Amino acid sequence: MSPSILLLILLTLASFAYMQGKRRAFSLSGPEVGSSRLHSRPGYYGMLTALWCVLPPLIVFAFWMAFSDSILIAMAMKALPTSLQELSADQTNLLVNNLRNLIAGHVAARDIDPILQQVAEQYIGMERISQIALGVVMLVTAVFSMSYVYRRIRPEMRARNHVERIVQISLVLCSTIAILTTIGIVLSVLFESIRFFQQVPLTDFLFGLKWSPQMAMRADQAGSSGSFGAIPVLAGTFMISGIALAVAVPIGLMSAIYLSEYASSRVRAWAKPIMEILAGVPTVVYGFFAALVVAPFIRDSGELFGLNVSSESALAAGLVMGVMIIPFVSSLSDDVINAVPQAMRDGSYGLGATKSETILRVIVPAALPGIVGGVLLAASRAIGETMIVVMAAGLSANLTANPLQAVTTVTVQIVTLLVGDQEFDSPKTLVAFALGLLLFIVTLILNVIALYVVRRYREEYE
Amino acid sequence: MWKKGLTLATASIILASAAVNVYAASGRDYISIVGSSTVYPFATTVAEQFGKTSKFKTPKIESTGSGGGMKLFCAGSDIDTPDITNASRRIKFSEYEKCQKNGVNEIVEVKIGYDGIVLANSKAAPQMTLSKKDIFFALAKEVPDPQGGEKLIANPYTTWKEVNPSLPDTKIEVLGPPPTSGTRDAFVELAMEGGCSKVDWIKALKETDKKYYKSVCHTVREDGAYVEAGENDNLIVQKLEANPKALGIFGFSFLDQNGDKIQGSVVEGELPTFENIAAGKYPVSRPLYFYVKKSHVGVVPGMTEFLGEFINDKAWGEEGYLSDKGLIPMPAEERKQFAADVVALKPLVMSK
Amino acid sequence: MQAEKRETTMDRVSKGLARRYRRERWFRLFGLSAIVTSVCFIALLFVSIGANGWSAFQQTEVLLDIHFDKEQFDVDNLSTANYGALVKNSMQALFPDVTGRSDKRELNKLVSSGASYVLQKMVIKDTGIIGSTKKIWLPADDEVDMFLKGYISRDVAESARRLNDKQIGWIDQLVAEGRLEKKFNTIFFTAGDSREPELAGIRGAVAGSLFTLAVTLLLSFPIGVATAVYLEEFAPRNRWTDLVEVNINNLAAVPSIVFGLLGLAVFLNVFGMPRSAPLVGGLVLTLMTLPTIIIASRASLKSVPPSIREAALGVGASKMQAITHHILPLAMPGMMTGTIIGMAQALGETAPLLMIGMVAFIVDVPHGVTDPATVLPVQIYLWADSPERAFVERTSAAIMVLLGFLISMNAIAVFLRRKFERRW
Repeated sequence: MSPSILLLILLTLASFAYMQGKRRAFSLSGPEVGSSRLHSRPGYYGMLTALWCVLPPLIVFAFWMAFSDSILIAMAMKALPTSLQELSADQTNLLVNNLRNLIAGHVAARDIDPILQQVAEQYIGMERISQIALGVVMLVTAVFSMSYVYRRIRPEMRARNHVERIVQISLVLCSTIAILTTIGIVLSVLFESIRFFQQVPLTDFLFGLKWSPQMAMRADQAGSSGSFGAIPVLAGTFMISGIALAVAVPIGLMSAIYLSEYASSRVRAWAKPIMEILAGVPTVVYGFFAALVVAPFIRDSGELFGLNVSSESALAAGLVMGVMIIPFVSSLSDDVINAVPQAMRDGSYGLGATKSETILRVIVPAALPGIVGGVLLAASRAIGETMIVVMAAGLSANLTANPLQAVTTVTVQIVTLLVGDQEFDSPKTLVAFALGLLLFIVTLILNVIALYVVRRYREEYE
Repeated sequence: MWKKGLTLATASIILASAAVNVYAASGRDYISIVGSSTVYPFATTVAEQFGKTSKFKTPKIESTGSGGGMKLFCAGSDIDTPDITNASRRIKFSEYEKCQKNGVNEIVEVKIGYDGIVLANSKAAPQMTLSKKDIFFALAKEVPDPQGGEKLIANPYTTWKEVNPSLPDTKIEVLGPPPTSGTRDAFVELAMEGGCSKVDWIKALKETDKKYYKSVCHTVREDGAYVEAGENDNLIVQKLEANPKALGIFGFSFLDQNGDKIQGSVVEGELPTFENIAAGKYPVSRPLYFYVKKSHVGVVPGMTEFLGEFINDKAWGEEGYLSDKGLIPMPAEERKQFAADVVALKPLVMSK
Repeated sequence: MQAEKRETTMDRVSKGLARRYRRERWFRLFGLSAIVTSVCFIALLFVSIGANGWSAFQQTEVLLDIHFDKEQFDVDNLSTANYGALVKNSMQALFPDVTGRSDKRELNKLVSSGASYVLQKMVIKDTGIIGSTKKIWLPADDEVDMFLKGYISRDVAESARRLNDKQIGWIDQLVAEGRLEKKFNTIFFTAGDSREPELAGIRGAVAGSLFTLAVTLLLSFPIGVATAVYLEEFAPRNRWTDLVEVNINNLAAVPSIVFGLLGLAVFLNVFGMPRSAPLVGGLVLTLMTLPTIIIASRASLKSVPPSIREAALGVGASKMQAITHHILPLAMPGMMTGTIIGMAQALGETAPLLMIGMVAFIVDVPHGVTDPATVLPVQIYLWADSPERAFVERTSAAIMVLLGFLISMNAIAVFLRRKFERRW
């Protein structure tokens, strides 16, 4: 009996339980009065019975799945000769894999050891017994808990409240996943970051002006000091994001204004989805595009003006990233512009203002907090963007204000440090987690500010 | 609230382990390989050949970088750890120690061949003829004072002509791998240190202050003339094509595949051709390795056969399919020796 | 006096009017040009990728007369017969005047090494063909393919080409005989990854993407909707709820690579789940798309007018009944739209998967959520890094397929929104 068949049987049983519960509720209510004497509608009695029929066996099932295999393996190992039992944990583990492959009928690695073969057969036998046992236990639990509820069905039983309680508990559980995720993120970068800061002081990391993980790959190699000042990396990140925003904010904002104030509904119906395609293009595609089309184009046109442009200029990555976040800016601005009350527009028109004057002097100032919030959100998206910069931006951490130079970003460094050839437990790799933490904190701060601004703004007009 | 959290945590742990156990119950029947992105194209070729011609599954090969690969490889010897790790450099003693500590006692080292590191530029530009000394003077962070005397100054050279009058008058712009890369490590050691030691007083330093000597020879300039261009060598090739003035540093296989777009520079009088690298004439080439967990041989299905495929002359020999992919084979003698080591599964012994 | 003054005001207004209208027109034009710019960007992106990639949908094949020589086959062990020799023999028959070991090698290089796998499959499928001679179209080598597509020029010096003059001569002869043709590239859609460009396909990556998305969808839709319902309808206003809300809004903007770090630390290292499995990828992407789905679902729950809720409560429905019977059905289109957009995001995501070992070479098409697999965007990233020239066009072609999936998903979302959007 495989687990999926077991679950199927359980489901069938649950629908049976539902019918039974419902029928019992009907029969208890008495034929002449209809179901009016019941506290809840009959379906709820059925649902309660079904839930009780499913949940306890499911818990049994989860426990069984979690522990049965290790118990069975332990039992199988006991059956092996003593010489094989005194192995280290790792060797045991390998033996178990061998056993499992044998059991699953995969190509076995070695010529099959007869003892192992015997144990494997024994294991298969035990597994079958265990599965049958699981089936029996689950069925018994299901029938028992079902009949327990079934017998307690009375017209005055508050079945609906019970069911709703169970549903509500599961809703609460779902909503805590967000919290768990955040805790998980913080913990997963924190430990490695702490290890990094034990080797490199926090102040060096935060205020150091030099980023040069030219650290030794071997002990006898040069530059073994390595400097881990995050400022140049952060500066590069902010420069690229700044360029991206300089592209995205005017274009995004103007398209939002045009679409919400000027465009006919037909233009709107076409233009909006097309703009949204920009948001749907995967970042790896943008990266490919930036590296192969935009960067050479910028370099060549720079040459025309006698400018010295690096092949991986911040400008190329920034431009493409700007294109990527246009839809963010435009859809967020669209929302806030639409939220500006019509009365304000009408007032302005009534005074004789043209449309553009109304927009510039009334709507935009009124929507400004919301727009700022949207821009901040777009900024945090730009800062955290990875693939575009991995493929199109450079790796050299120049502290420069020239957008034609190559700069590097936090995300690029995380990726190259984690998939590089250097030794893993060196500060060089650990710094990737410190950068991850930094990235998380920076975007967190931006988000909190943005959300605060947006919320304050919404409250003003709603 | 605490009670709720606790219940939730237990529930999720039980569910997760249930999910894992469903997986584990079937056992792993494919070879798991991790490691260097440089060895990746060769290992994958062998793996594919192996998967198609044997009754075993095709091995899974992850490109994690040499360091990440070693970390996973040395994490222990249970079945969830990789069986083989590729490396574009030799295993380090610290890594070896970590392996030993985690119970990975017997590792078999296999050298698979060589990879040439080439300096190349677009065919639209003239071919460069460089010496190691030129490379050092063009790319080092600090160079000996041209005014004479035994002192170092920040690299003042901006064009190749300033470095060596016989070179063209173009700006020094070299696209190369980042410090995290094994390619960079090998390049620095072979090309730059080679050029560095041509300066007598620096060479003398090697005896007196080795650390200082290394730092002089190995530190690459950071003022924009050397552009760290990431590990994606294809993009470097495309950037070179777009920018005829730039030079790129990458593995030989990329030059081999793009011979109509880019040309290798002559280093120390030798062109980076297959024959020259194989004969050991071209000065900048480095060995590639993989490491095998001995305890997994015979346990994971197909290990012996996979190793057999790799050490077959059909694969890594002069005429083998790996040479079509750009791997420079070892001399027959060396191949024979490593093949014998693999067959005997001779464990690596390292001491500090 | 007064009439005059009023006139001057009007004068001033009408004097400025032309300027104001001009500015109005300019402003409007500026807005329009913003939209045109974005549309141009899209067009440029699509055209440049299409121009690079369309040729990958064709693959050069060579027609060979294969004689399935009885001598070559051992009935018990069909998979190990020397299929390469069959191909070599038939090439030899076509060019009888090619002698010498190195020349033969050069000649045989024109046919893909995958040709023998094709024959192997044919024989295993139907042993009856042993002994017969058949005309079979077999894949040509990627260099030949590149040559026929014009990526390798005849004009460059022989040493700089991957094909030498002799090989080009043979190719010309084959083309003249009609034995070398470009055909629709079925391998690209039916094979897994390969190191040989002519044998590489996206099926493995597409299957991996589908498994990953299935896990993501199965987890994120119910959890997302449940969370949205709880927060919107049940949650009491207290610090805990505020915390959850702030958290969700923040998670929506956390960089995706950070989710990768989380997956590495929690799912792989703590729970010990297998590397490179769609299961883990799906879990990470679930956490990543949850905020999107929750926020969209909440917005759509919010847009259901309170009158409906109140009417339901008024006729005696419980809160839960009002929600399940009335509000959820009305909010469902919005939730579906949000989910589809979240799924599209997950489908295109690369960065977090780099951290959990999905950057891997996987030939066998995965058959379950725990088989090692890779996904389409990662396949694109991997191919973009391969030295073989033929992979460049395949990268673009894979991008086209990915964009096709994404655009159709987005189109469905837009359609749903159009069809079911209600203004109250």
